[in-house]
Amino acid sequence: MSQRPKCQISDDVLVLECDFLAAHSKTINIPALTTPISLSTYHQLSLTVESANIKNSGLFKPNPYLQVIIDDKISRRTEVIKSTLHPKWKEDLTVLVTPQSQLLFRLADYHSFRKDNVIGEKRVNLLKVLLYCNGKCDNVELIIDLMKTVSQENSASVSGEVKAAELVVLLDGLRVDPSVLSQSRELLGESANSTGPLNDGVRARIRIRNNESAMRSIVRSQNLRPPPGPPPLSNGSLQHGGPSGTSGVSGPMSSSLAGGAGAPAESGAGPSHAEAEPTGAGLPVVYANPAEEPLPAGWEMRYDVYGRRYYVDHNTRSTSWERPQPLPPGWEVRRDARGRVYYVDHNTRTTTWQRPDTERLARFQHWRGERRHVVAQGNQRFLYPHPQPPHQPDSDHDANATVYYVNHKNRTTQWEDPRTQGQEMSALEEALPPGWEIRFTEEGTRYFVDHNTRTTTFQDPRPGAPKGPQGAYGVPRAYERSFRWKLSQFRYLCQSNALPSHIKITLSRQSLFEDSYHQIMRLPAYELRRRLYIIFRGEEGLDYGGVSREWFFLLSHEVLNPMYCLFEYANKNNYSLQINPASYVNPDHLLYFKFIGRFIAMALYHGRFIYSGFTMPFYKRMLNKKLTMKDIESIDPEFYNSLVWIKDNNIDECGLEMWFSVDFEVLGQVIHHELKPSGDKERVTETNKEQYLQLVTQWRMTRGIEEQTSAFLDGFNEVVPLEWLKYFDERELELMLCGMQEVDVDDWQRNTIYRHYTRTSKQVLWFWQFVRQMDNEKRARLLQFVTGTCRVPVGGFAELMGSNGPQRFCIEKVGKDTWLPRSHTCFNRLDLPPYKSYEQLCEKLNFAIEETEGFGQE
Amino acid sequence: MAATRRLQKELNDIRQSGLKSFRDIQVDESNILTWQGLIVPDNPPYNKGAFRIEINFPAEYPFKPPKISFKTKIYHPNIDEKGQVCLPIISAENWKPATKTDQVIQALVALVNDPEPEHPLRAELAEEFLKDRKKFTKNAEEFTKKHSEKRPTD
Repeated sequence: MSQRPKCQISDDVLVLECDFLAAHSKTINIPALTTPISLSTYHQLSLTVESANIKNSGLFKPNPYLQVIIDDKISRRTEVIKSTLHPKWKEDLTVLVTPQSQLLFRLADYHSFRKDNVIGEKRVNLLKVLLYCNGKCDNVELIIDLMKTVSQENSASVSGEVKAAELVVLLDGLRVDPSVLSQSRELLGESANSTGPLNDGVRARIRIRNNESAMRSIVRSQNLRPPPGPPPLSNGSLQHGGPSGTSGVSGPMSSSLAGGAGAPAESGAGPSHAEAEPTGAGLPVVYANPAEEPLPAGWEMRYDVYGRRYYVDHNTRSTSWERPQPLPPGWEVRRDARGRVYYVDHNTRTTTWQRPDTERLARFQHWRGERRHVVAQGNQRFLYPHPQPPHQPDSDHDANATVYYVNHKNRTTQWEDPRTQGQEMSALEEALPPGWEIRFTEEGTRYFVDHNTRTTTFQDPRPGAPKGPQGAYGVPRAYERSFRWKLSQFRYLCQSNALPSHIKITLSRQSLFEDSYHQIMRLPAYELRRRLYIIFRGEEGLDYGGVSREWFFLLSHEVLNPMYCLFEYANKNNYSLQINPASYVNPDHLLYFKFIGRFIAMALYHGRFIYSGFTMPFYKRMLNKKLTMKDIESIDPEFYNSLVWIKDNNIDECGLEMWFSVDFEVLGQVIHHELKPSGDKERVTETNKEQYLQLVTQWRMTRGIEEQTSAFLDGFNEVVPLEWLKYFDERELELMLCGMQEVDVDDWQRNTIYRHYTRTSKQVLWFWQFVRQMDNEKRARLLQFVTGTCRVPVGGFAELMGSNGPQRFCIEKVGKDTWLPRSHTCFNRLDLPPYKSYEQLCEKLNFAIEETEGFGQE
Repeated sequence: MAATRRLQKELNDIRQSGLKSFRDIQVDESNILTWQGLIVPDNPPYNKGAFRIEINFPAEYPFKPPKISFKTKIYHPNIDEKGQVCLPIISAENWKPATKTDQVIQALVALVNDPEPEHPLRAELAEEFLKDRKKFTKNAEEFTKKHSEKRPTD
């Protein structure tokens, strides 16, 4: 501190020039963003290209622009400014750097028809800048001499480099732990105390703002653009009120609040944010926890006029009653060009709109953990007991000499004989009597030819075949579906609406979501019916089906990334997906839902599978089926139990104080809804409770996700008309989308528990006999009936989850033999009445699992 | 707000009934979803102090049960270091929309007075409670002296 800092005014800011940053860092108090970890980790650096002064060297003034090249790899450039020697850009470039990055600044003269002329350039070692400013690149101004190599013939005498221009740039938003830096000093071979001038031709100084207030420096971070990570895609045209937008009451901070009714309102969005006061409802006195951690950067604790403590977040210009949890290590809060707050995770180099908390990070970890299973899972799914046919349009036999069929018209292959449209007999079926043959009418109806008598009949001649109106399992035909038949009809619709040739979708694995989004939304929807040709950048290989299968699987897992806030698991133990009502924090969420709608329709259209399915109520919504109270059970068992209690009890005497209005909470904001006009004034009574339950059910299944659902369905309908699905039920839809898995019945039986039955009860033995006789589709349906999904956890039946944690498949003895079996999907429990015979058990079970309207469950 | 009217009524009823073991009820008029109050146990070793609790009602109350947490540290087998308490009456399986907050509070007071070591949240305290009641009582009394709030005098 031998020198006094000199002060000068420029550009509305106070410039404090000093040679020793150690002195400086004591005078201003800029809140730390994050503490990065090592010399090779990537950090975000905001680089503002301000201006340059170019030495006059010719008749014409140049059209200058600046190019910044980081580590000879990534290049960014400013706009061209026409005909000037004193360009002023004031342009922010946000770049990813490591503390040891080399930044090459190259000033060039733009020419429209010949090669651009380099005016001058300079290489800057970022580490030296960081050492100079003690690791804190907060508003560091660099004045750089740009040099030009002078060709030898002109001036052989001089060194070869002359100063051609002077450039002013501003570095901001980068902080590196000084302890990390100290190791690097050795790398540079400098003494630990050397904080002197950088090197020839580069001068650095720190600017502070006119207002000594530390908060000002954060306002600057508005200039930082979100990185191109998926959540804050900036090309979307929709603007929705995010947490800091029009929705007003909620702030990102309140996302973790439990009873957030009193989440304070935001202060005005104007620049004078520092006076933020909570204007919302208050909370009672908050008891201070004696062992409080320090507040995160940019936060401040204040007291309101009543002496109540509240917290001001200068980063987001919002207030909260709740003490903020510090961001996890490696996280940083930023603001995009539209002033919206988002969060950067430098550990994974991703971004998200929601403030990370422990729960969200745990979910993210879980999701990341799934990733390694994704592709392996994809290879285990099937719809028929065959793998996908190979896509080699020039051969009729694959290596194992299995017959498949080639459609040369649209260059596709399939296992099914196109003449029978997939109705060919399963190999397990009994052979026909000699002289008989199966044929199909033009409509695809099966009939039988008896060459012995030269007659035809629709009646199957085999002795075991079902006769009359009874189906194969003794179930009346009216209740028997033929999934295969419906599927072949659907395939037929797809094929007859297919377009010739193919579309190429080129993606990079690192930006799978974003690339897929752009390419799918750029095309008119009907184009997506062409054969897909997927290319992963940098990976040679032709897409004969395998690559696109992988793409469907990877992308369908990617859209579930909890950091995108688009979908969520139905609840802690139901890993089926539903639309996240908080998805509105993602400003472009409706575009994304439309995109995902298109993508899911493409999966059905092209016969591909997705990683994880949706909840049964979601499929029902796709099929435009009415949702019932029972549907709530699988997604919100607590809520369901309360509804059942209201339904089953006389409510007039128990002071429920319920009215025809309801509330729920999203991101700390309570949303009130009247179930009918003036519902706030109508009391729920024993006489009108039926209507109430109906309205509440409808509301519970749609609250906060209406717009998102319509966007999804719009996108879907553009590729596959929803009309085409009308013959399917929701469980078939899940099977079509997720495919079947080979179900390991031994594992299933081993991990099943019994209540009021034992392992050797005859009904239990019959049950397993029945399961072993079923085909995979039926087994999947039975699983759907009892557990709510056809999918088995990766670790097998031992990992089956219920609403209270691990919950094995359970068979309980309930009721009389005249009853149908029932199920409780949140407990993975089958209520199996004590049937008197094997046949009766088969009949009742078949009836229950084939019936989809849910009365078998009720 | 849907839950407000119900909670307003419950709060009035509780205040009028003048519970001896739940005092100093504080509810901010503008946010009725959060209540605070003092649990005043009768049984030793807790009868030398009072314990502040917070009751948080979800927006979906009474479809979903309230949550209770202790703001005052307490040495108790059923209440953990973070103040979380496991109370069957407000568990997901047992919750009924007709359950009233005063019933919940009474169940809580009963649990504080008579710990249930067979369903412990802090296994080591439950073990001490069962195996060495004298030591447990002594520890709990000291802990109460040190951390608990003053009992209302009236």
